[in-house]
Amino acid sequence: MSTYGTPGAAPRVLDPMTLPSDDNVDAYTFCVELKGSQWFMQKGKMIAYYGTIEFNGIGHGRLDRLVRKAFHSPLHASDWVVAEGSGKMLLADRAFDVNSYDLDDGNLTIRSGNLLAFQPSLSLKQSIVPGFLTLIGTGKFVAASNGPVVFMEPPIRVDPQALVGWADCPSPCHHYDHGYLTGVLGGLRAMTGLGGVSGEEHQLEFVGAGTVLLQSSEALMTEQATGAPPQQPGVPGGGGPGGAGPGAGGPRLPGQLGDLQRRFGL
Amino acid sequence: MGFREINSKMVEATVAPGQRLFSQRGAMLAYKGEVGFTPNLRGGQGGVMSMIGRRVANEDTPLMTVEGSGTVLFGHGGHHVQVIHLSGDTLYVEADRLLAFEGTLEQGTVFLGSQGGVMGMVRGQVSGQGLFTTTLKGHGAVAVMAHGGVIEVPITPQRPVHVDPQAYVAHHGDVRNKLSTALGWRDMVGRGSGEAFQLELSGSGAVYVQASEEKL
Repeated sequence: MSTYGTPGAAPRVLDPMTLPSDDNVDAYTFCVELKGSQWFMQKGKMIAYYGTIEFNGIGHGRLDRLVRKAFHSPLHASDWVVAEGSGKMLLADRAFDVNSYDLDDGNLTIRSGNLLAFQPSLSLKQSIVPGFLTLIGTGKFVAASNGPVVFMEPPIRVDPQALVGWADCPSPCHHYDHGYLTGVLGGLRAMTGLGGVSGEEHQLEFVGAGTVLLQSSEALMTEQATGAPPQQPGVPGGGGPGGAGPGAGGPRLPGQLGDLQRRFGL
Repeated sequence: MGFREINSKMVEATVAPGQRLFSQRGAMLAYKGEVGFTPNLRGGQGGVMSMIGRRVANEDTPLMTVEGSGTVLFGHGGHHVQVIHLSGDTLYVEADRLLAFEGTLEQGTVFLGSQGGVMGMVRGQVSGQGLFTTTLKGHGAVAVMAHGGVIEVPITPQRPVHVDPQAYVAHHGDVRNKLSTALGWRDMVGRGSGEAFQLELSGSGAVYVQASEEKL
């Protein structure tokens, strides 16, 4: 219980000299030091700053070169701003836990809503998995999560809502548990909806070498638009011929498993 | 066996063949190995009669059975998780606060009116327990959810504990509880302290209190 600090101690007062440089102030706040350098950050995540820092929306003429270098999907650039200048800047997001991660010539894919800020030495790309972004290169980035992040090694199966991201491993695939939907009783269960579903039929499965990042709860942060992939044949999710169409069918009736049911031919 | 706390909001459980675990539906975060999750029609242990009992008592939180071999991570909704080890005594907790519990525990439902009559029912209403609450009895571990951190307050025969009904999470041991009221004319004119109702727990055991007055 030492994490709660010494009882009765005065609150810690921070000034520009005592604020950490590129490190966490507490579990929920991260301090970025800018020395004439630039950081990309999501709109609205700055809570305070010291010094002279300028925030420019992307699409500003002067930043074109930077955007060309670090952004490989111009489609979602409007959700980002560039912080430039010198000083110290505090980042936070709705009292979620904030952590920084160092990438050393690596790659990491992260849920778009969880990424707060990154150094321009990293390049940001759209992941082939919808709703995720991939960072490639060397540098530091800051991500928020609901509860502390837990690192796990594959092979592992993860609830889609608990997944924050993954590093150095191939893309996940879908895994379905439907053992209890087979047989006579299972068939009845699937047809009538009696007994309900466990809510854990669908997981994302990771295999291979790498690290999987999990958040400890299933509360999601709002998705940030990552931009739509180009509408071309052969691009997954691109809507071209052969791509998956939009979710068809009417509203799901209670007791129906929806897609799952169709998939197993029930 | 049992639950290992990974951080304040996440627990890890090991499942082995022949050992069952019950958990709230949708509370699995990740797992390794071959583990199956089956929705539990009866909402827990016991036969059809205990299922009907739970339905009537509105204590039928959807549960699922976890079986197989491997390790499973549990967490739900960003709530804090507290692991409670039981060695033969009974834990009283609301069913929707149960994140997961071992299959070795015996699950039951009790009528709060049986402990203190009408005042017991009033107490249930005030503490958000309703007229019924769930009991877990035996040897094993339970993971309970709470809003904010949880503190364990021991109860000894000499020192009864007073708890805000909204901050009450669970209690175990040989504990008698009663609702103490400190209503005065100030409460009637809307100038009360806001602490008119308290839960007084006496006996020997422990009560778990959350650092928040928000319900789950």
